[in-house]
Amino acid sequence: MRTTSADLHTLTGAYAVNALSDFERTAFEAHLTRCESCAVEVAELAATASRLGAAVEFAPPPQLRARVLAAAAETRQLPPHTARVPNPRRVRWAGGLLAAACLVAAVFVTVQYTQTGQERQLAQLSSEYSRFSDFLSTPDAKLVNGTAPNGATGTAVVSASRDEALFLAKGLPDPGADRVYQLWLIGADNDPQPAGLLDSRSAPVVVNGLSGVQKVALTVEPRGGSPKPTSDAVMAMPLA
Amino acid sequence: MPERERALQSLQSTPRDVGPTADDLLPLVARGDEAAFERLYDVVSGSVFGLIRRVVRDQAQSEEVFQEVMLEVWRTATRFDPQRGGATTWILTLTHRRAVDRVRSAQAASHREDRAARLDPARPFDEVSEQVNGKLEQRQVRRCLSFLTELQRESVLLAYYQGYSYPEVASLLGIPLGTVKTRMRDGLIRLRDCMGVTG
Repeated sequence: MRTTSADLHTLTGAYAVNALSDFERTAFEAHLTRCESCAVEVAELAATASRLGAAVEFAPPPQLRARVLAAAAETRQLPPHTARVPNPRRVRWAGGLLAAACLVAAVFVTVQYTQTGQERQLAQLSSEYSRFSDFLSTPDAKLVNGTAPNGATGTAVVSASRDEALFLAKGLPDPGADRVYQLWLIGADNDPQPAGLLDSRSAPVVVNGLSGVQKVALTVEPRGGSPKPTSDAVMAMPLA
Repeated sequence: MPERERALQSLQSTPRDVGPTADDLLPLVARGDEAAFERLYDVVSGSVFGLIRRVVRDQAQSEEVFQEVMLEVWRTATRFDPQRGGATTWILTLTHRRAVDRVRSAQAASHREDRAARLDPARPFDEVSEQVNGKLEQRQVRRCLSFLTELQRESVLLAYYQGYSYPEVASLLGIPLGTVKTRMRDGLIRLRDCMGVTG
């Protein structure tokens, strides 16, 4: 198992050379929408990295030219972006549940967007997305990663000042019929407290009340969840 | 549309060997101009294919990714925003991401240990050194790379040319995850300052 925690602000270089995992990339891009100095630095570092790309020029096979041009002639271009929906700065967070719903929607839409190009959905939920980035741009937002033995990965965005964390998993195997993945918060007393079920194997979960919590763990439990873990953790991540 | 006129003018008045730049052409491509796309292809295809081939290595897969990238440039040119950077950067950023996506998905299906064992961390810079000569801008890249510390250079080049994630780079170089992230950032910042890149 591998773990790390990092300040989002230091990821500009790794982002510019595409060295982040998909989840970290999504989280960092959301962070960028609110962090002007990061966005400027990323633009500069991306331009720098592309100089490295331009330095290894090599001509493609000539027959590809006609193929690409013919394909372009038959491909409809994306419509341009139109003026953005005004930023709902005056909308306050209405508690953890609403926040959870928004985060879930935002993350799902991001995934859907890249996978199926559902542009309209993205536009409709852009205001929720801005709340997601609001969370990610809190000054103390940290990324924590964990890896399960089967290669599944977990990522948590943790904000101590908001006392909240967003947990996402990727590549989890099917827990089996009538089984679910359950999240746990573990403090110094090593007594796991239930912190929510993963509705699907890739659904994000928002966790509140991080005071005294030292790590987050994931187990497989009977449908509906358990008051105490009934199996060994498939993944555990220190929050500190 | 003055922008279009300017770009068309530059198409007509500049000598053939200088020609319009990607920055001139991409806004025209965004408006569905197939002739501009053809010229853009001639301007950028060498860099796009070279970068893909460098990361992906396999010729057949590189050709596949290349065609996907060029088509994506056509399809998403409408989303290019000149305020946020140059056209070449936009295209090569897209190119690099697709190339890395390809090696990561291929890697997920193969044995990581095998790959890591075949790797010599010193290789990327040697190969860059071989390829980077001749053109002025390539000499500049080479010169600027020489100002980086060894860890900075290897962190940046292993990620960029080999498509490795930062945990993979950390494992190859035997340094902590936090260190590799700062080395990537510091290395790119040093390159940026040396090349005079403004974003």
